[in-house]
Amino acid sequence: MNQESRLKSILEKGIFAVTAECGPPRGADPDAVLKKAGMLREKADSVNVTDNQTAIVRMSSLAACAILKQAGVDPVLQMVVRDRNRIALQSDILGASSLGIRNVLCLSGDHQSFGNQPKALGVFDLDSMQFLQAVRAMRDSGLILGGEALTKPPRLFIGAAANPFADPMDFRVTRLAKKISAGAEFIQTQCIYNMDRFRKWLQLARNRGLTERVYILGGVTPLKSAAMARYMKDRVAGMDVPQTIIKRMEGVPKERQREEGIRICVETIAELRELAGVKGVHVMAIEWEEAVGEILDRAGLLPRPSLD
Amino acid sequence: MITAEQKPIEEIRHMIMPYKKILLLGCGSCVAECAAGGEKETAMLASALRMAAKMNREDTLIQEKNLDRQCVRDFIVQLDGIIHLYDAVLSLGCGAGVQAVAEIFPEVPVIPALNTEFLGQTKDQGLWLENCLGCGDCVLYYFGGVCPLARCSKQLMNGPCGGSRDGRCEVDPETPCAWQLIIENLTRTGGLERLESVFPPKDWSRKQGRGPRKIVREDQQR
Amino acid sequence: MTLKWRPVIAFFYCQNIPEGGWEERLAIEKKHKGAVRLFPIPCSGRIDGVHLLRALEEFADGAIVATCPPGGCLNFEGNLWARKRAETSRKLIKSIGLEGERILIVEGTAGKSLDLMGLAEGFLQKISLIGPSPVLYPKDMPPGTGVGFSLKGESVHDYC
Repeated sequence: MNQESRLKSILEKGIFAVTAECGPPRGADPDAVLKKAGMLREKADSVNVTDNQTAIVRMSSLAACAILKQAGVDPVLQMVVRDRNRIALQSDILGASSLGIRNVLCLSGDHQSFGNQPKALGVFDLDSMQFLQAVRAMRDSGLILGGEALTKPPRLFIGAAANPFADPMDFRVTRLAKKISAGAEFIQTQCIYNMDRFRKWLQLARNRGLTERVYILGGVTPLKSAAMARYMKDRVAGMDVPQTIIKRMEGVPKERQREEGIRICVETIAELRELAGVKGVHVMAIEWEEAVGEILDRAGLLPRPSLD
Repeated sequence: MITAEQKPIEEIRHMIMPYKKILLLGCGSCVAECAAGGEKETAMLASALRMAAKMNREDTLIQEKNLDRQCVRDFIVQLDGIIHLYDAVLSLGCGAGVQAVAEIFPEVPVIPALNTEFLGQTKDQGLWLENCLGCGDCVLYYFGGVCPLARCSKQLMNGPCGGSRDGRCEVDPETPCAWQLIIENLTRTGGLERLESVFPPKDWSRKQGRGPRKIVREDQQR
Repeated sequence: MTLKWRPVIAFFYCQNIPEGGWEERLAIEKKHKGAVRLFPIPCSGRIDGVHLLRALEEFADGAIVATCPPGGCLNFEGNLWARKRAETSRKLIKSIGLEGERILIVEGTAGKSLDLMGLAEGFLQKISLIGPSPVLYPKDMPPGTGVGFSLKGESVHDYC
């Protein structure tokens, strides 16, 4: 139970890393987690477990991570500051580490008004930046907020998210820099469809030397249909889907759109691998985990290397 | 100021149902400014309630009175000798006013006719915006005069989040992104470098540390 | 009750409308004595929701407001406010179960005279069709069961 983060080891060895995403079920069903674990185990180095994503009640991320861990997967525990105050957040960090979870991704979380509990109180006691800083201090100094010492610090590889496509553009890289100073060791980005804008953001990050200080994993999501592409462009906050991608999806008949989505995804991964400063890919196949194997296979990223 | 909106009339009718003699109590301060509980609104609500009572053949007496301030003892005591003629008070004051009247005249039930909303500004005629949380530890200096706690949907002190697009908030595109405003203001007036370092966690004890807050000013006391 | 009922309306109008003068007023009052109560006002912007409501509460089956044409207000936007207030009052009476049509606002047309007599008679006719106001002539129903009382499907607990 005490082994290191596989994600961290892969990145430190300079291997192009692969992470995938697993959304916990909307019920107390461990088999649903195990099924996804089976689909992702040999394909990705580590698997992110979302934390009540889009503010919809699901099995807790921490519990699903524990199940994945037992099933031989290296989980990345996603934690949002929307639902827990600093007492609960720090407590769950200790819990996660003691369950053998070795990666955490500190997030703000989608606003509660988007999900199925719009009457909920949004906590937002800490923001994601302050949470990152708190986790880093817990791990490196063994101190919680306020300065009290822990009997044993957590062992975690600490990550954060970045959205290269949101506004204001000039401040995006400043915010990345802040996340790094706050303690982020790896970054998983928002889904990349607009490669031009991603390159610009990366260039700015490189100019500030940020790519030397943090491992950046580019986010990709295979599109299932042209309708999904349009939905993401119009309805999903912070998503940048250029017209060229939508046209391309619309250009093929419905029954071949999934294949086209996978092809776009594979091409994006190939481009990402060529970019200086990108150290891995984060595949978020939303409720389409079975596609991950094919995408990574066609991208030439399988089999995953052994660390022994 | 404090903003409020009138509750639905059905809800008000439900709450006053058990009472025969009701005093509608308007307030001339904040809730008058936001057109929720001033003299005019009180007169209109009283008239509507009287009509509803007549339509339903309810034998109810509904009368009106207005105080300049419903949250200050010196004004509330004007009700002495009047309030006991009624079975209940329907207050068009904010939550503070309702409770202040109830505390001074504990024998009479005081019912709220308004939903108290937020601390805000009158942005334009008929438009009020929330812009202060009353956190007890003002941080406006650091954020170019725009409060990220009151005006960012996620209360980010190190924003903006990844959902900000074209200067709009992802939660409600009608709301400007507070962080966009913060960055614009600090770019214009100087001080953008303040945002380079991580702003530390908020000390919420200033807002809710020991339960309800109080301010004691001996120089103001008798 | 219905045998004897004749509608009564409150007629608020801006005195700056060319036809809003003394002569016209006398003619209406003579012809519709008791049925049309005229309230000439220096500007329709002076009308408040409470005037309309009090009229309906105390004597009128309907209340009508006549303003000058859009853009024609001597005080720039009095007629705009009159419209807004009439609409607010209409919403309020609907919320207690009274027909919204009992409040009417009419704007004049630029360059055309406003026919106060015609408006009064038209509105009287309209109110005759709607029937007597349940505020002034409550229907025979036990207390507490009127339309104004429904909780509209919301649980009472939502309010507790």
